Amino acid sequence: MSAARRLARELTKLHEHLPPGISVALAEGFQEWRMNIKVLDDNPIYAGETYQLLFRFGNSYPIEPPEVVFKQTPEHPIPLHPHVYSNGIICLDLLDRQGWSPVHNVESICVSLQSMLTGNTKRERPPGDEQFVRSNRSRPRDINFLFHDNDV
Amino acid sequence: MSWQAEELKEKGNAYFKKGEWASAETLYSQAIQKNSSNPLLYTNRANSRLKLESWRDAIDDCLRSIELMQENMKAYFYLAQAQISINHPNEALSSALMAYEMCSRSKQQTNNAQTISALVLRCKKAKWEIRERDRLRRRSVVLGDLMQKLEIDKKRDLDELDERVAKGGVGKIEASEERADIEKNASNRMGDLQTAFAISNPKELAIREVPDWLIDPITFEIMHDPVITKNGNSYERATIIEHLKRSATDPLTREILTINDLRPNIALRHACQEFMEQNSGWVYDW
Repeated sequence: MSAARRLARELTKLHEHLPPGISVALAEGFQEWRMNIKVLDDNPIYAGETYQLLFRFGNSYPIEPPEVVFKQTPEHPIPLHPHVYSNGIICLDLLDRQGWSPVHNVESICVSLQSMLTGNTKRERPPGDEQFVRSNRSRPRDINFLFHDNDV
Repeated sequence: MSWQAEELKEKGNAYFKKGEWASAETLYSQAIQKNSSNPLLYTNRANSRLKLESWRDAIDDCLRSIELMQENMKAYFYLAQAQISINHPNEALSSALMAYEMCSRSKQQTNNAQTISALVLRCKKAKWEIRERDRLRRRSVVLGDLMQKLEIDKKRDLDELDERVAKGGVGKIEASEERADIEKNASNRMGDLQTAFAISNPKELAIREVPDWLIDPITFEIMHDPVITKNGNSYERATIIEHLKRSATDPLTREILTINDLRPNIALRHACQEFMEQNSGWVYDW
């Protein structure tokens, strides 16, 4: 199946309409896209900041989920959240093979992450962040996260 | 005899994998000499002949293979490819549809369903292109005839005018005014006729957008064999099965969903077909 065709259509739709706070930073080709997201309400943890998401698509997208991480750049910090490691790796069931569904798309992932941040009140990293960031060598899609606190 | 054939076939397969189609074809031919009753030898040779672009020979192989084994998805699949290459889209379409039907009946359907779906679409497009070419030719013939008739009318009016002038019934100034009128009238009519033909061309008027309800929510492409789930959502058969093989859940509700729960959505399939037929052309490249 052609991931490229589906992504081309997603891109056309994104250019026609984008939800508030979400924008396309870079979408050249169908391997890697960068999306910017902002938290729009007055949650003080994220006020005034813009975050950048790096999407990597495999050939079997959308049957398989894309790999999505926050990317640190001079303008874009990594948001503080109990499900976001300080190296940008995100622990969200939607991005996990089990939780993924092919009806999701780049836009719906951005919206989900945006609302994950919006609802958060803890200025925390996930437990064991330092150790994880130091020792993790696997790609995000190969990590088996334990969803220890699904209520966050 | 037949183990020799088997050995030659294996060698042929090895060449085929390396992309040496001609050598593969030779070995399959030798295998067929040893055992002429194995349908798989013919389909394998047909496949290398497709690569070598010897379409007619590929067709012969497919037909022989089908003779030996009726339930023969591969043979129909190769047959369709060869037929479309020699510009026989009608035959190609029915072969491709046979292959698709066998594929969706078999257990391991999905491995091929998408490739076959794509081929079905290609055949439909080729078929449409030929029809469209005929239609355009016919249209231009009709337009040509009508234009000629207007031309004849104009000439007749002018001749009549000349006759009246010759008889002295009309003055010179009057006559030239009348002549201008006739000319203008005729050219207006011809313009109207051409505009009418241009407007009647639906390709120029139709909005080139596929309605969401004809689109597979997974691939975002127009569906050709939609199936419906328990909760009423429809997907293209090949893609939803691809998903269910990895996760037996409904993509929207996450409830348990298995291949056996899927039902063909026949009304939607007709709607997709009708849309394709009315909007062919652009819809294939959409």
